[in-house]
Amino acid sequence: MLESEVEVITDDNAVVLACGGNPEAFSYLYEKNVTRIYNYIYYRIGSASDAEDITSRVFYRAFGHINSYVDKGVPFSAWLYRIAHNLIANWHRDNLRRKEVPLEDHLDLPHKADQPERMLEKNQEMALLLKAIRRISADRQQLILLKYLEDLSNAEIAQIMGRSEGAIKSLYHRALIALREEMDEIGYKSE
Amino acid sequence: MESRMNELNNKGMFGLEEKLSSMLKPVMPDPVFMNHLKTKLAKTPAVLLENSKRRVGLMVIGAGLFAGALTVWILGRLKKK
Repeated sequence: MLESEVEVITDDNAVVLACGGNPEAFSYLYEKNVTRIYNYIYYRIGSASDAEDITSRVFYRAFGHINSYVDKGVPFSAWLYRIAHNLIANWHRDNLRRKEVPLEDHLDLPHKADQPERMLEKNQEMALLLKAIRRISADRQQLILLKYLEDLSNAEIAQIMGRSEGAIKSLYHRALIALREEMDEIGYKSE
Repeated sequence: MESRMNELNNKGMFGLEEKLSSMLKPVMPDPVFMNHLKTKLAKTPAVLLENSKRRVGLMVIGAGLFAGALTVWILGRLKKK
């Protein structure tokens, strides 16, 4: 193939090309989204190995169904988040016996530059915060994680979650209240 | 009194938002995992059949029923003789 015939993959054409069966375009979309999808899954379930497993399944599923993807004007990541959301629900259903994720699972989280005592304190605090987050409903968790991990606006979150911006504002407020209640319930002191 | 309660409530929510903002930081997935998955995806044929636990289960049940029916049929034939 002539070099001039090779279409340059950009944010604008990657989805269309991937839907048309272009593997490079799918790789491009993979590179763009893998970290955010992994983060979302990781914070929802708290296990790095399971997060890798589910991330793999998200992309395999997306790859397997890319031909039937319909561009509705929302970001491609919204579709991936929806797949991840469903697979996480399945994971929770299959792991009902493992309701509590051990706190030690989170001891490899950030704050590595701090003093050991402070680091331990921060990690314990983080573990409790994550425990509280995982006790609120799935859609509230999704909203909190999209807002703080991805730093997305309400409008962008609305697109991903398929709701209106007003509904997201309202859900966000309820999510914070629910989170505060869960934190009180597990004895987390945020101040 | 109510406005004071609301003020305290808002302060608490603001504190919670600050806490979430400072503690929820993106983590980097293992680069080995990312590259491995990318390579595997690139090698996967476009049409992918996912393994379904339900399908496997149905196949096992089907095989069991077939084996049972076959045994009954063979035993029936042996009795006739």
